[in-house]
Amino acid sequence: MSEFDEQLREIIPRLRRFAVSLTRNSSSADDLVQASLERALSGWGAKRAEGDVRAWLFAILYRQFLDAHRRSRRYARMLEFFTGRDDAEPSTERTVIAQSTLQAFDRLPTEQRALLLMVSVEGLSYKEIADILDVPTGTVMSRLSRARQALRQLSDGEISSPSLRILK
Amino acid sequence: MISMPPSERDLHAYVDHQLNEADRRLVDTWLTTHPEAAAQVRAWQHDAQLLRAALGGALQQPANPELDPALIRQRLKRQSRRHLASAAVLLIAVGIGGFSGWQAREMTLVRSSMLPMTDALQAYRLIAQQGILPADYKVDTDGDMQRWLDRYFTQASRLPDLKSAGFEPVSGRLLSTDEGPAAMVMYEDRSGHKVSFYVRPPGPKNTFLPRGSRSDGDLQADYWSGDGYNYAMVSPTDSPAAKQLKQSMQF
Repeated sequence: MSEFDEQLREIIPRLRRFAVSLTRNSSSADDLVQASLERALSGWGAKRAEGDVRAWLFAILYRQFLDAHRRSRRYARMLEFFTGRDDAEPSTERTVIAQSTLQAFDRLPTEQRALLLMVSVEGLSYKEIADILDVPTGTVMSRLSRARQALRQLSDGEISSPSLRILK
Repeated sequence: MISMPPSERDLHAYVDHQLNEADRRLVDTWLTTHPEAAAQVRAWQHDAQLLRAALGGALQQPANPELDPALIRQRLKRQSRRHLASAAVLLIAVGIGGFSGWQAREMTLVRSSMLPMTDALQAYRLIAQQGILPADYKVDTDGDMQRWLDRYFTQASRLPDLKSAGFEPVSGRLLSTDEGPAAMVMYEDRSGHKVSFYVRPPGPKNTFLPRGSRSDGDLQADYWSGDGYNYAMVSPTDSPAAKQLKQSMQF
């Protein structure tokens, strides 16, 4: 038990970072991490796949996030329906040019953020990521290609943007 | 062994160190004679480096003791002793808007249980006691609260009039629960005591409740059903305000 807990303790900072990149808010991120650890340490933990504990925990967290996300989407749709507000439309704010890689990253869709974090930052294997996302490895590859392209374009916007050239 | 020329996928795998040694050397050599592809690969590598650097700081944040595995184990044990049903989680969700559209700003996962209207008590704790969730709506002038509620729950019972106990509706908050969308209206009296009116659908199992009340910790919930919804009034147990409220509501 305690050896496993030690292993968990080492991974928790990574889980928290993953959760922040998904929720973009540190307190909701910690709630998500807590719910995932509870899940991992409760009966469900018996089903743990062999192999990398980190990949297993990432999978739990990602699924918990998707569940919560679905619920909150329902809530957002309900609000939208009643208030007539549509925040899904691109706003002028959102077309503001990214000023750093991190900002470009933050503007990617959740799925692409999760993927780039797992590939480029965590260095998980394509196979592990395929298991976490529950898709074939080929799908991971094509999504990765799109995500990298999107990040490139958003980051490039900074360099080639006319508004920035005027500032020079 | 990959085939030459490398596909785009091979190049991604090269960037991510997922090629075997022999393949990696093949791509290395190939890139020396293909400057365009080499530039593309360098750009991806550069983005990955920047991302690692940008997100590196996130690993340095101070530990959150709530997330310690030993503590979570203890909590899980306590919970199973209390026979709380752990399957259903209630999500109290989110505001919308902002730079990247709506986001999970206030995502809070709390466990619900088999006891009636637990979500109403949880909502009271989150909103009235801990102040975790901001109000969606605050009353400006008299009568607005009913109009706000009517936008979401058209056929629901009227908001109870608690003026005789000194309580006025002050704010409202929409919530998302396992049973469907819920609304909580907060009442306050002059000295800042808070009681809440909570309404939501009976849920997929159509659980209608006989009129009843129960206490949970420092809170008391009075609940009932009517007009297709379930309701609860939540107030702190034993406060003089709650007693006065009870009399004026004629439960």
